[in-house]
This record gives sequence, structure tokens and C-alpha cells, in this order.
Amino acid sequence: MKLQDVSLTRRSFLAGAVAAGVALVVPLRLPAAWARQSEAAGLSQAFIRIDTSGQVTFLLPTSEMGQGTHTGQAQILADELGADWSSIVAGMPNQPTPDYRIPFIGQMRSVGSFGIRFWHDPLRLAAAQAREMLTQAAAERLGVAPAALHAENGFIVHSDSGRRIPFGELVEDAMALPVPEEPTLRPDGERTLSGRRVPRLDTPDKVTGKAVYAVDVERESMLYGAVRLAPVFSAEVESIAEDSVTGMPGVVAVVRVPRGAVVVADSWWQAKRAADALDITFTATDADELSTEAIDTMLREALDRPDVPVSTLRGDAEATLSTDGQVVEAEYSVPLLTHMSMEPINCTAESTDERTELWIGTQGQDVVRMTLENALQLPAEQCFINTTYLGGGFGRKTHGEIALQAVLASRAVGGRPVKLLWAREDDVRQGQYRQTMRCRFRAALDDAGNITGMRIRIAGPQMGREYGIDPEQRAQATGNLANFDPFSLGGLSDMRYVIPNFVVEHAVVDLPIPLCPWRSIAHSFNGFFFESFMDECAAAAGRDPLEFRRSHSEGQERMLAVLDRVAEMSRWSEPAPEGIARGLAVVESYGSYVAQVVEARVDDEGIDVRRVHAAIDCGRAINPGQVETQIQGAVIDALGMALRQKVTIRDGRAEQSNFHDYPLLRIGEAPSVAVSIVEIGSPLGGVGEPGIPPLAPALANALFAATQQRIRHLPLTDHVRV
Amino acid sequence: MTAFTLNGREVEVTAEPDTPLLWVIREQLKLTGTKYGCGVAQCGACTLHVDDEPVRACVFPLSAAEGRSVTTIEGLSEDGSHPVQQAWVELDVPQCGYCQSGQIMSAAALLARNPSPSDAEIDTAMAGNLCRCGTYVRIRAAIHRAAEA
Repeated sequence: MKLQDVSLTRRSFLAGAVAAGVALVVPLRLPAAWARQSEAAGLSQAFIRIDTSGQVTFLLPTSEMGQGTHTGQAQILADELGADWSSIVAGMPNQPTPDYRIPFIGQMRSVGSFGIRFWHDPLRLAAAQAREMLTQAAAERLGVAPAALHAENGFIVHSDSGRRIPFGELVEDAMALPVPEEPTLRPDGERTLSGRRVPRLDTPDKVTGKAVYAVDVERESMLYGAVRLAPVFSAEVESIAEDSVTGMPGVVAVVRVPRGAVVVADSWWQAKRAADALDITFTATDADELSTEAIDTMLREALDRPDVPVSTLRGDAEATLSTDGQVVEAEYSVPLLTHMSMEPINCTAESTDERTELWIGTQGQDVVRMTLENALQLPAEQCFINTTYLGGGFGRKTHGEIALQAVLASRAVGGRPVKLLWAREDDVRQGQYRQTMRCRFRAALDDAGNITGMRIRIAGPQMGREYGIDPEQRAQATGNLANFDPFSLGGLSDMRYVIPNFVVEHAVVDLPIPLCPWRSIAHSFNGFFFESFMDECAAAAGRDPLEFRRSHSEGQERMLAVLDRVAEMSRWSEPAPEGIARGLAVVESYGSYVAQVVEARVDDEGIDVRRVHAAIDCGRAINPGQVETQIQGAVIDALGMALRQKVTIRDGRAEQSNFHDYPLLRIGEAPSVAVSIVEIGSPLGGVGEPGIPPLAPALANALFAATQQRIRHLPLTDHVRV
Repeated sequence: MTAFTLNGREVEVTAEPDTPLLWVIREQLKLTGTKYGCGVAQCGACTLHVDDEPVRACVFPLSAAEGRSVTTIEGLSEDGSHPVQQAWVELDVPQCGYCQSGQIMSAAALLARNPSPSDAEIDTAMAGNLCRCGTYVRIRAAIHRAAEA
């Protein structure tokens, strides 16, 4: 499969279809719950298209960044349609028109592990509609009842006679038929691709170097750009001496952009050298003295504020302050993180006053569009955004600053295409970090060692605001009291344990650092906070961590199912192997439940993670092989994060710059990861993110089991050897 | 002017002699399978072969390629049929895929000198290739699979 540049809105697509050939196009129908919030009156601009050659194209707004979403979507479509697997092509719209916006986000965006769970039902419905239209066309041609026909491998087949007609030959007749309102969906037993380990469609191109990422885009007469941006996040350009680089080899232009400059040259290397040599100064700011220590102090002080509003309350708040019985208290923190997608931030732009075209690996097409609209008053209809494969996203590629820089650079060279690529050092130092947070817990245990009340106060920025989330509106919509930012409180306010008296408060601390979601957003830290603290409570009560969690999960079938499965996998009820310590954690996020057991050897040499067991309930695994690899990858990703990763600030700027001081896990450090999929009939959940949150707490809990030392602050290697 | 062999054909390019080979191959010779990840030989995304040895092209100066034979992912096989590529397909190794050209070139070089590496030998040979998606479990398995082929 190729990621095809379908490059057309539905209107122009249909117009183009005349020239490109006749095709049956069935738009996706959004569920009523979404349609109410959508401008699309129930019809999504997303569609499936079957042409007269039998090629089946689907156009959905989900970017492929490694999560395998296009393959899963193709499975759902091919299954329901009865299509030939090799005839399926995934496309991306190149204009983020309103119809592509996810209603409750209000934007075209690939976030929240939505790709499969969001599009499964509409895609299936449209495929069933198309199948019934093709079947009806075949029935009329063959003079048989539609019920005597079935769709299989791209043909409508008459089983009794063995006659069969390829989809492509039926397209013109089918186009004349009405779209059936309520098509009959295939029974699950007939879905032969969903639930199978179907090979990824993009693998062949990704092992031959043919897959095109944004950084690989080739345009005629293209120039290359490198940046020189302010090291302090809020600083602006004070002066640029363009003549400091104009004589350098290959240099074409020096272009001023917000917070810095782009140097455009005949090659990227020439551009980069000149950018490094550029004589540029930046303004002084209030944040020039900012340091990690100062930020930590702000967070600590915020936790002691007298007037923090209650975001979430269940039961009796006073009960959470009880000093009867046993009280457990602890404070945790996590550092800033950066994303380290293997493909650094880049964008190719070709822009004139009349027309702008971009090639970008983005998770946030609407953010890109709005960035250009706000900065340049660029009308949306003049802006075409081609989404390529992403060399990793992890939340970072939801921003538009690179697009604005590339557009300004292209305009400065008369509209010639400019491929603008940030060096890795720019990617690490230019902010958009996962926020740093600090969290204080207090729990009251009764005589039986059960939690009767819990009070959680978290301090840190309110990142959701930057994504258009109003904490007061969101509190109302979610049954919380006030000041509810899901980017801060996800995984706390909605934790799944049964705790009768429960209070969550958010002490908001504004930081002069640009922030951005990181794979699993708030769960990336709240999973660590909450599941570490549950372990502390279990230890304080003298109870087994599994039994303690189970006893606080009454009626939580999904929680219990993944806990029991991971206990079975890890033989939790038996003593751990000699020299091995085990830690357990379970977190619900993005509609899926994941429990993990970390097995680690802990001795004088440090901590060595040998094996991780993971159980996931994501409803139904459309592609179990992809679920397995997403969870394995998430475990390895999160292990690197928990052990070593942090961005620290000194003199208002990031201290890290590249992989040597922001280390990802290397292959020799990767544990074996066993994954088991639990299917108990739950609704579809996400898969890309939910593997992340349980790993850090399971690891810290294993460390505690081995040493009785409780590490409450990440990364762990600030406290223990590896 | 620097002359060398690229994927079996003779090429001549003009660029500053200290230009990293990576940029010459990507921008002038239009082979984009070899990726930029770090620029300082820390991530391995730019791994290619020079005279059959794995090299980080982001720090390999063009001048050092003079007269030598360079192989990129595009030249590893004509049609993706190299045993390492086939094993990668069979085990569906890539996720985002960005690092995989480099992973495959490192793995192919390993198997060329050690046809049946142990886990420890794999870990040593592949230590310079990072993957943020965390595909290491399958990479290890795929190298064993290719070794059996």
C-alpha cells in the first residue's frame, strides 16, 4: 500500500473523479452524538471510494506515525466490504476542512489513540453500504435475489452458479442506486481480517527506504533551510547581521521568523553552517534566570497554597483529612520531557500570495492551518497541507511553528520550495515539553487496611488551556466541580478504584516554557503518581499489592480482568525467582486497561529490568500483532523515560541537546515483553498510548520490593544506579 | 569532484569535501532512504555501508568516500529480497519506520561477518541504532530469523 496523496476535498474529489475515472463514493456517516457537534450534519467528508479498476481508497484524517492505524482501518474496511486486500489504498485529505474535525476536539488531529476506536463504526457502516449497492447492482445484472449473493475478495459472487463479477465492473451501476440507510453488518464470524495478525501495509516501503516522510519530499528547484532560534523560549530577535553569512557557500537568503532566523541555501549542510555562524542577538527576558530548581520551588510552594479549588469531589471531603486510623502521605514529581521523534521537526513549503502548499508530518493539520491563518491571514482555501508518513509523533507534531517558518522562508525566495529541517539540537532545545508536575497524596486507611479517603493535590501548569480547553466548561461537562484540566488531571479524577471519599485539587502554576502533550498526556505522570501511591498504601496496610488493588476494584470488571491476567502471566501467587523483584501497576487510559508486572534484578550493580508482562483490554484487538508491538514498544519507550529522561533548565534554556544527554533505551537494555490481550466484550479502546502509564510505577514498585526504598521522583537514575 | 561507487554505479559529485556523505546522498543523489536523526553518530538512522562496513553517514566526510563503494538501503537489494529485509517483513518490525533503514543496514553488516549471532552479539552490533518506537524485541527476533534463512 502507498500512502497516497489523494489531495482533494470531497467536492473537488468528485469533480476530479470525472477526469480520473468513474467511482462509487460513499461518505462516512458520523454517529449522532458526534454529528450534533459537527458542522457536517451527520455526514463526514471522510469517505470510501471504489473505482472501475476495483481499487478501494479510503480517506480518513488519521496520520500514520507508526501506530499502524492505516492497516487497522483497512482491515475493518476490507472485511465489511469483502474487498481484495491488495486493492486497498489509504489516503489523507490535504485540507483540514471542518468535516474532518473530531467533534469533541474541534480539529483535525491525530491524538488520543482515536484512530481505530473512533472510525471503526463509521467505516464499517460505509463499507456495508457500498457492499449492498454493489450487491444490488450484481443482483439486477444476474437476475437473482441479492440474498443469493455475497461479497468476497473484490467480487460479488453467486454461490449457486459460481458466477462472479469484480467490484470494478459494478461501480457504474451501483452509482445509480440510493445509498441504503441501514445496511446489514456482517456477523463477527464472517469478519476474516479483523482480529487477525494481518501484516502492516506500510512495511514493504519501510524496509526498502521507499516510504516518504516529510523530510524526503522532493520538489523541483527546491532550496533547504536551517534555523537559528532563541535559546530562551520567550526571547525575540534583537538584531541580525545578515552580512555575517551572505558570502558563505550556497547561502541564498537569511529570513527573519518569530524568535529567530531561517538561513536558506542550496543544501541543508550549507544552510546549517551559515545558521550556526549567523551573527544574531536575542532580547533579554524575565525568564533568563529560570532554572529547574526555581521551577521545583514554584511547584512545592503551590502545593502549600491555602486556597486551591477542589476539582473533583466524591463523598465527604472532611473524611479525607481524617487522622483516625492510619494515614499515609507522600509526594511525587516528574521532570520536563521532550519527545525525541526519530524524524526531527521539518516542513517543506511552497508559498506565494495566492497559494500555499505544505508537506509535513503532522498530527495537527488544523493547528498548522490556524498558525498560518493567525500569522499571515492566510485563507484556509488557499492552503494545502499534505500529510506524509511521520517518523514518530508522540504528541510533539501537533504544533505549527515549523510551518510558519517554512512558509516565510519560501516567500522570501520568491515562492520557491524550501525544505526546512530543524537540527536535532533545535528539536531538543526549542521547548514544547511534557510538563513537570508535583503531586501530594494523603490517604486514610481503616483497621482492615482499606482506603476510606484520599486527598490528592497536584501542582503544575494547566496545559489544556493551550489546546482550547476551558477548565470551567470541562468541569461542567465531566461532572467535576471546577478548574478541571484533563491534560493535568486525567488518571486522577477518573481513576477506577473504589474509594468512597475522594478529593482532587489542582494548584495551577504557569511556567514560561512552551508545553506539549507527550504520549499518554496526563497519564504519563498520573499513572506513576497514583500507582506508586497505591503500592505505598498496600505496604502500609501490610497487604499484597495485587490483593490490595483487587479489593479496591469491586465491580470494575475490566480492571480485575487485566490484573488477573497479568498475575497469571507473571505467576504472581508464587514467590519471585531468586534475585528477582516484581512490581505491579494497572492504569486505564484512552478507553483501554493495561496491567503490567516488571521483573527486575536489583543488586549492588543497580537495577536491571529483565522481563515485563503486560495484559491489555482494548475491547477487541483488530490486529493482535499490532496491539502486541504497540505495547512492547510502549514498555521500552516508558522504561527509557522512567530510568533516565529529563529536560533541565538553566539560565532560561534547556540543558540537553541530543541523544547523548537525553538517552533513549538501547537494544541491549530492552527487556523481553510478553503481551496478553484480554477480550471480555468491552468497547473498543485505544492502543498507541495505554501501554505507557503502568511501566514507571511498576518499575518503582519492583525497586521498592527489592530494597524497601521508595523512589518518588523520576527519572530513577537520579536516585539509583542502572 | 569526488568519485565513488553508489549501489554499484559510478557517481561523481561536487560539494565541499567535508560535507557529510549523508547530505550528498540525500540531496544530490536523491536517495532518501538514509535518514538524518542526530548529526553526531548517536542514533544510527543514517547507517550505510562503505566497502561493506557500517558507517554513520552523518559524520562521514564526502572526501573519505573517494574511490570507495557505498551501499545504501536502496542498494541492499533490488527488490527488498535481502534476507534481513524479508525477515523484517515477516515479523512486521517497523512502526514509524524512520530508523529502520539504519537498523537493517547495521543488521545486514552484522550477519555478513557473523552468520548466526547470539543475543549478546546482536545487542553489541545494534547498540548504535536507536528506535523511539521501541521495536527492539522484534528487531532481535528478525535478526535471528534472517540468520536462519
